[in-house]
Amino acid sequence: MIKEKISSQEIIDLVASKASVSKRAAEEFLKVMIASIEEGLLAGESVKIKSFGTFKLQWNEPRKSVNIQTREEILIVGYYKVVFVPDSTLKEQVNEPFAHLEPVELDSDPTKTELVEETDPITDPRRLFNEQAIEIKNLISEIQSLSKKTVPLIQEEVPVVELLNNEIKQIPDTKVENIEVESVNEIDEAKKDQENRIEENETDTEPATVTVANDSETIPEEKIEVPNLTAETINHANLKDDSTLKKDDKPVRPDFISNPNYISTPAGLVEEEGEENKEKTSENKEPQLISELASTPYLENIKPLKKHKIRKWVLLILFLTIGSGAGLFIYFAATGDNSVTNITQHLSISEIANTISEWITPAPKPTPKPVKVVIPKDTTVFATVKPVQPVDSVQLLFDNPRVYKEFIASERIQEGSRLTIMSKRYFKSKDFWVYIYEANKEKISNPDEIAIGTLIRIPKLDPRLIDTTNPRCLLKARELHDIYVN
Amino acid sequence: MNNKELITSIAAKLNAPKSVAAILLETTVATCAQLLMEDKTIGFQSFGNFEVRKKDERLSVHPSTQIRTLIPPKLVVNFKQSNILKDKLKDIPHHD
Repeated sequence: MIKEKISSQEIIDLVASKASVSKRAAEEFLKVMIASIEEGLLAGESVKIKSFGTFKLQWNEPRKSVNIQTREEILIVGYYKVVFVPDSTLKEQVNEPFAHLEPVELDSDPTKTELVEETDPITDPRRLFNEQAIEIKNLISEIQSLSKKTVPLIQEEVPVVELLNNEIKQIPDTKVENIEVESVNEIDEAKKDQENRIEENETDTEPATVTVANDSETIPEEKIEVPNLTAETINHANLKDDSTLKKDDKPVRPDFISNPNYISTPAGLVEEEGEENKEKTSENKEPQLISELASTPYLENIKPLKKHKIRKWVLLILFLTIGSGAGLFIYFAATGDNSVTNITQHLSISEIANTISEWITPAPKPTPKPVKVVIPKDTTVFATVKPVQPVDSVQLLFDNPRVYKEFIASERIQEGSRLTIMSKRYFKSKDFWVYIYEANKEKISNPDEIAIGTLIRIPKLDPRLIDTTNPRCLLKARELHDIYVN
Repeated sequence: MNNKELITSIAAKLNAPKSVAAILLETTVATCAQLLMEDKTIGFQSFGNFEVRKKDERLSVHPSTQIRTLIPPKLVVNFKQSNILKDKLKDIPHHD
């Protein structure tokens, strides 16, 4: 590349015209300047010129070399060399055509590690399950020791475990429902029919059990059910172990279906509907949930003793439905309906065995299985709820579409002009080029190739939007960058 | 020798006030920068040449993490001393 070389004389002329001094004075000045620099260097100092650079001396060690023609070894003596280190301002000025470029990392490992972390619990659900099983065992033993104490009203701050303890003591019935609703959501459409059957069964048995406590009239109806149930439930009573749960499941279903007594009662239907509605509105609409729940006849049937626990139920239902939304629990769904069927078995057994009064304190055995399903869901609910960002004025600024009415400057595109360079000049960071682009969108078809001569207007931006010290501003700009570039 | 000392030295030699020397130095620097930005080589007789050189893009590998990074090309200012200056510098005794 042949570059135009500017001689001392041309520099002198330029300086003379710019500083409006005579050429002689400029020439003299330049000579003196160089002489002074040399003087400084000869004194062994480094010479610094503001906004230009620093001249330094560097000692080059003597070294041996070979004469190419004669192959004689020669010694190159050590010498001093003047090194010029450009000042940062000069560096930036000179490098302006390439200022928009940034180093690019080609191997980005962080994403890989993230993926591994995500898949880990999924690939190893057995281990997770075992851990939870141990936890649950401990819980059960605690529950049994505390069974007849009254439980204070639960606040939202109450840890999950405690909440669950309370739930287990008082409301095994609702839990059955929740789980079943979830499992319906999660399981593939292919499985849906089966699930629905189970659901029907569940909803049937529950109102029955509730009414046992309240109305003496429904008792005969129940008694009809009981003999039908006994046959299967006794069979399954022998197979309570976790390991055999899955095997239990399949024989149960046909029995239930074939059973003529399992046609949904009105109470059951309403209840089911209520549950489904709750699911739909489960997205953080707690008050609505409560009202819906209260309106269902199901709750009216519940003893006054239980009424003050509605709040807790709602909380639990909320957690569970949100958890089901996450859609991660196809795995757990299988175990979920196992537990569901198991509970119904236990319920029916206890129907036969126990008197009405015993229903107030439910048997501890049915409780452990629902808990198993509940716990993983709750934990994930907490995980998913956390990353919600607080909405503040800056966020609003990001979310609202930007309107560009005021402009601080305008520039015509030239050879080598770039929006990033303009952004750097006007907004202190090249990341904010996206806003210039947004303001001139109608003139620019492709931000990478803007026609020369295009008049670009630089918009006036909210200083909060282009705060270079705020990482969120930069992040937002980069998000937009990704949108516009790709 | 910093900028102030240089200005003092120049002013003393020119028999001119420091302010004049400072303005002249500033103008010269601005002129040089402008010329360099226009991708021109500046030659000062008996001192050396200022030149803009392009450093090509390159691939750098972090020695410990093995992360490869593409370093973009850039333009840098290069100074090459003239032989006259080199000869003058031979007078400086080297002591290690």
